[in-house]
Amino acid sequence: MTEPALRAEDVRKTYHSRRGPAVEALRGVSLALAKGERVALLGRNGAGKTTFLRIASTLLAPTSGAVEVFGLDVSRSPELVRPFIAVVPQEGKPFFHLTPREQIYAYLRARGVDRETAKSRTEQSLEQMDLNEVANRLCITLSGGQKQRVMVATVIATEAPLLFLDEPTIGMDPFARRSVWGSLRRLTRAGSTILLTTHYLDEAEALSQRLYIIEEGRVLVAGTAEELKRQVGGTMRVSITDGGKLSGEFASFGTCVREGESLHVITGPERINEIMALAMREKVSATVGPVTLEEAFLRVVGRSIEEE
Amino acid sequence: MAFGLKWAGAGVFCATEVRVQFHEWLAILTGTIVQAVLLIFVWVLAPALLAIALVGALVYSVFLIGQRVLNEAAYVRIDHKLNELYHASPMSPEAYFLGMSSGIFLAYLPPILVIAVITVLVAPFDLRTWGVLIACMLAVWSVSATLGYFISTLFKDMKTIWPYSSLITNLLGIVPPVFYPLGLVPAGWRWLALVLPTSSATALVNGAAGFEVLTSGDILLAGGSLAVEAIALFFFGIYWARRTAREA
Repeated sequence: MTEPALRAEDVRKTYHSRRGPAVEALRGVSLALAKGERVALLGRNGAGKTTFLRIASTLLAPTSGAVEVFGLDVSRSPELVRPFIAVVPQEGKPFFHLTPREQIYAYLRARGVDRETAKSRTEQSLEQMDLNEVANRLCITLSGGQKQRVMVATVIATEAPLLFLDEPTIGMDPFARRSVWGSLRRLTRAGSTILLTTHYLDEAEALSQRLYIIEEGRVLVAGTAEELKRQVGGTMRVSITDGGKLSGEFASFGTCVREGESLHVITGPERINEIMALAMREKVSATVGPVTLEEAFLRVVGRSIEEE
Repeated sequence: MAFGLKWAGAGVFCATEVRVQFHEWLAILTGTIVQAVLLIFVWVLAPALLAIALVGALVYSVFLIGQRVLNEAAYVRIDHKLNELYHASPMSPEAYFLGMSSGIFLAYLPPILVIAVITVLVAPFDLRTWGVLIACMLAVWSVSATLGYFISTLFKDMKTIWPYSSLITNLLGIVPPVFYPLGLVPAGWRWLALVLPTSSATALVNGAAGFEVLTSGDILLAGGSLAVEAIALFFFGIYWARRTAREA
């Protein structure tokens, strides 16, 4: 593997408070992103995703451990790292009294991009984020989703080698989310690397090449969406209406999960025919579908919570 | 890049702030209400002190910029998280601090210029006094902008910040002899008035304009204090901007 775009080794972060007990937000996170990769950090609220993103983007000092961006230590040389990165902060908003066009252009100029390049990238970014119609309206008049698109457009326009996006599509409609996905894919094709956090599992699956699930400040699982799905016992799900009472009959086919009166059997594609045949014999209706990342996420994180 | 400081981007960020502030022209306008009301009071109650009050209004107006910096820096950080956008970028924290402070200074300059024009009409200054006035105003801007920026970083909630903003403005802008002559301060407290940034600035300008008589000791104390405070706080502002660009 060539030098990674980002490498984190045993990163820990403890928040100390005068009024309450110390909080261990990160308990030894290690991960790596190759150049040009799109990687998602998944986890419940408070799992430590944003803390990690802020450490990696030079905005927060770790308690211990090391993070390197293109071989540069973010703790020792944040000023050397910053030209290589750009961040969409969680719940960030553009300047309300600038237009989207002004916001993107002003930010690019502040980063040292020359006038002509800043102008053309601003127009390109407005186009990509479908913001042309509102490009000259003050951001204060835009909807929440449009404001978020302005933030993403601002950061995408930087074409920085490493982008950190903390819940970049929150509040966006499905069309806007797909515009963001398309732009991020284009950026990685051009060589940028992207680390994003999201609570939209479909987004993580559609967009990221690999993902890390963080729980209680630790990396619980790392791999592709398919690998994660396999960890729950299979890639297919057979849902059997009124099958709750038949879990014994279906247990040998895979992992059985009862949900009210229904039974879900997580299994491999090679067992589907047998299960359907049994369902017909038992005169219960059954539907077949792929295991979703959300189901895998719930199973993996849920198992971890149960173990604790 | 003297002293390792990087100013690239400060000019652009300054222009951004001017643009942002100009959209809130009502705030710029209402920022002169306290000065206008005090000037009217002085004009009615003690017209002989109007020239001194006008100098006070100029210094106070510049001091208010610190309050604007406090509110803007806190708002941008707490409500918009835009500080993260800029801090995780090649633009240095000192350029962010200077860009924001100078942008707000430029945006709030028009009402200050109006007061300056009235001052010229009421009590014309010679060139030396203008020089002293401009130097003192820049020094007060440095002190107030740094104080504002510093305080803005200490809290996580806008509501917590507002009382401090008001407290500092009143403690340093209204209570000391800014709108009234230094001569009215009890002798035992005179030294304090001469070391506070706002009242030392007004004392120096009033002294240069001949509105008040200052001893050479007074001038030395006021001038020395103001210069030290302005320079020390400006560098502290840079240090603090760098330190807070990354949370501990």
